[in-house]
Amino acid sequence: MSRALVPLTVVSLIIVGTQLAIFTSLRVAGVVIMLVWLWPLVIGLAGYTALGIAAGVVAGLFFDTHASTPFGLSVLVGVTLAYGASRLGREGIGDLDSAAWWVTPLLCALGGFVAPVLFVAFGLLTLNDGLWRGSLLAAMVVNAVAFLVLARPMARVAQSVGRLGERSRR
Amino acid sequence: MATSRSRRRLWTYGATVALVVAILYTTGGVVSGLRTTANLVVTPFSWSVNAVARPLGHLFAGAVNYSDVVAQNEKLRYELGQARLQADEHWALERQLQEMTTELNVPFVGGLTMVAAQVTTLSPTSFAATVDISKGRNDGVLSGMPVVANGGLIGTVISTTPHGATVRLISDVNSSVGVTFGHGTTSLVVSGKGVNNGLGASSVPLATALRPGTLLSTDGLSGGLFPPGLPVARVTTISLTPGAATYDVALRPSADLRHVLYVDVILWEPST
Repeated sequence: MSRALVPLTVVSLIIVGTQLAIFTSLRVAGVVIMLVWLWPLVIGLAGYTALGIAAGVVAGLFFDTHASTPFGLSVLVGVTLAYGASRLGREGIGDLDSAAWWVTPLLCALGGFVAPVLFVAFGLLTLNDGLWRGSLLAAMVVNAVAFLVLARPMARVAQSVGRLGERSRR
Repeated sequence: MATSRSRRRLWTYGATVALVVAILYTTGGVVSGLRTTANLVVTPFSWSVNAVARPLGHLFAGAVNYSDVVAQNEKLRYELGQARLQADEHWALERQLQEMTTELNVPFVGGLTMVAAQVTTLSPTSFAATVDISKGRNDGVLSGMPVVANGGLIGTVISTTPHGATVRLISDVNSSVGVTFGHGTTSLVVSGKGVNNGLGASSVPLATALRPGTLLSTDGLSGGLFPPGLPVARVTTISLTPGAATYDVALRPSADLRHVLYVDVILWEPST
C-alpha cells in the first residue's frame, strides 16, 4: 500500500491535470465529465479499498481547490464511490480479470449515474441547496455514458497501480 | 485478523479525512492557502497534459472545421467594420449622455473606470457557473465588483488573489440581480438557473408590462449590488401557471455567456 501511494499520487495528479486541461472545456451537453470520480471508482472495483479511498482524497482535494463549489465535496463523492465499489471489488464483482467484460463498464456507468446525486446530497450537508437546480439529470446521464466508455482503460491503469502495492508486500 | 486491521485502517482514514475537511471548513484562511498550494502542485501536470493535447486538438479541429473558420473570419471582418462605425457614433452620444447624467447626479457605467481582463479558466465542474480572470487585487479588482462582456452584465467577482479573480456568472444558481425595464418603475429579481438553463424571474406581478424581447437592466437601487443601466437579459417567454397570481419569466442573457474570452471589471463597489 505505502509503495503504491507514490505512483497513485502521481497518476491522480495527472488525472486532475487532464480533468482541468481537457475535460473542463470538452463539455457534453454543457456537462463536465468527472474523471476525478471515475478514478477512485475503478480502483475500488479492482478491490483496493484503502488505495481507492486515498485516490478519492488526493484527486478530490486537488480538484476542489480549483472549483468554486463547497470545498471537500468531490473528496466525499470520490471516497464514497471508492468504498462502495471496493465492497464489490473484494468479492470479485467488477474486477477486470475475474468478471465478465461488460460488468466493469456497467458498474462504472451506474457509479457515473449516482455520483452527481451524491454530490448534490453532500452539498445539502454543507447547507448548499442550490446544486440540484443546475443540470443534475444531464450530469447523471452524461457521466454514466462517459464512465461506461472510459471504464476499461481506466480500470487497467488502476490495476497496474494496485499491483505495485501488492509486489511491495511480497 | 487482516480484515479487522484493514477495517481499522479504513476507519482511521475516514476519521482523518472527516477531521481535515471539518478543520478546513471552519478555517477559511487555511482553505485559501491550501488552494494556492494545490494550484501550484497541479499546474505542471495540467500544463504538461495541455502541451500534449492542445496541438493534437488544434490539428484535428483545424482539419475538420477549416471552412467554418474561413466563413467565421469573413463574418467577423464585416462585424468589425460595423462596430467601428457604431463606435464613432457612440462616442458623441456617450459624451452627451455623460453630461446629462452628471447634471442629474446619476451614476452611469460609461463614466466608471473598468479593468480589462482575460478569462483564464472556466469552472471545472458543471455545478457552478464561474470563470477565472487574469486580473486581481493588484489591479484594483475586489469582491463584489460587477463584470461586463459581450454587451451585458456577465457576473460578479466573488474572490480575488493578487493576480487573479473568480467571477460568478449570472447563470449560476446562487446568483440574483435586481433589474428594471422601460421607465424603471418596476423592479424584478433575475436568478440564475444553472450552467445550461439560462436565467429566470419568478413571482412577477400580473400587472407587469413585460413582453418577449423586453430588455432588463440593473436597477441601481440605493444600496444595490450593481450600478444602474447594465443590460442583463431579454425576455424570451412569459408563462402563467393556472391558478397562480404571478408570472414566471424565462430570460436570455444579453451577453453570450458561452463564449466569454475577455471581460471588463467595473471598479464599482456597492457602498459607493
